[in-house]
Order: sequence, then structure tokens, then C-alpha cells
Amino acid sequence: MTYFVLFLGVGFVLAALLVASNPSPYYGVVGLVFGSVVGCGWLMSLGVSFVSLVLFMVYLGGMLVVFVYSVSLAADPFPQIWGGWHTTGCVLGFVFVAGVGLIVWGWGGGGFGVGVVDNMGVFFSRLDFNGVALFYSCGVGMFLVAGWGLLLTLFVVLELVRGLSRGTIRAV
Amino acid sequence: HLISSLLCLETMILSIYIALSIWPIKKQTSANLMKILMLAFSACKASARLATLITSTPTHASDLLHNLNLLWC
Repeated sequence: MTYFVLFLGVGFVLAALLVASNPSPYYGVVGLVFGSVVGCGWLMSLGVSFVSLVLFMVYLGGMLVVFVYSVSLAADPFPQIWGGWHTTGCVLGFVFVAGVGLIVWGWGGGGFGVGVVDNMGVFFSRLDFNGVALFYSCGVGMFLVAGWGLLLTLFVVLELVRGLSRGTIRAV
Repeated sequence: HLISSLLCLETMILSIYIALSIWPIKKQTSANLMKILMLAFSACKASARLATLITSTPTHASDLLHNLNLLWC
């Protein structure tokens, strides 16, 4: 069961590899969806289930849906496929960088032992219950600032896509 | 492709988010505020980037970086 967590971590790195070495954005979006699903599973098996759910709903359900639609708008109608020198070069470069990072930081950092919260039976209290509640008690100022920033972002996006014919939106 | 760079940036943000989630577990601290804030602000950034992409793609007939001419709007 310990190696399951390691497997999910490796799966996340493979998803990042899939995104980085995509011949077309369609495959990149698949890699991003796979990476966020595997990342959610990884976080949940490590004991923080709330942020895993937050990632699922906000990231997968909100942002990635918008990303998929944007990719379908902005990508080319005849996508390239896997195979070829470009993809192979990207894969090799990514594996090289990941290997260097593993050797520099991985060997001396205590190995791959993962002690999850479910080590001795299922532990009912997850590890992030106290942290997010701070958002409402101590960090209420930052909470309000973040909400205000999100509201401002809405108006920023509306301003960016404004203009029927004078602006930059035209018939696609 | 401009959107390929957006996808790679999103992957980086996702990996930073997971790292910010795992770090308080390993260090046994309670710093869980940073990842929620980071997720909120990364949503803002992604929406602004996507709006820029959507509005600049029809002008240049595609989002290939070779076609982007910064003198156009």
C-alpha cells in the first residue's frame, strides 16, 4: 500500500511529461486532466482529503473544462501525432531534467518512505481540517482580499473580451 | 502554439499546489492557507491568460507563435 502512493507520485510526473512533450495541445490537455486526477488521488492517500476535493472541483471541474474548450477553439484542425524527433527530444529532455532532480534531491533526502495518516488503521481526522478553518478566523483579511481580487478578475476578463467589432473579438 | 505554453504553465501551477499541500504534512506545520490562496490566484491568472488567448487568436488566424505579430492588437 505504501508503494501505491509512490505509484501515484510517479504517475503525476508522467502526466507532466505528457504535457511537456505534446505534439498538439489536444494531448497536452489529456495529460493535464490525468495529472490532476492522479494528483488528487495522491493528496487523498497522503491524508489531506479536503484539498484534494478542492483541487478536483475547482481545478478539474472549473478551470480544465474552460481549458478544454479553449483548446478546441485555438488548436489546429489537423493535429500532429506522437512519434518523430520533436516528441522524442522533449521526452529525453524531460527525463534528463527529472533524473538530475532525483539524483540531486532524492538520494540524500531520506529515500522514498512515505508515512501516511492511515498507517495504523483508518484515521478519522484528516490533516488539513485545522488549516483551512484559519481562513475564517485569523486570515479573514486575506480572505476578503482574495475575494475582492477574484471579483476584479471577472471585470478584467470582461474588459479583455469587450468590443463587438472594434475590439479583438471577431467571428471565429 | 500559444496554448501549449499555457498548458505547461498550468502543469507548473498544479505541481506547486501539490508541493504546497505535501510540505505541511512532512514538516508537521499548519500552513494550509497558502495553497488555497494560490489556487484562487492561479484561477485568476488562468482566466486572464485564456481571455488574452481567445481575443488574440482570431486576429492572427491561429495561435501559432510564428504568426504572432505584436504590432497587431
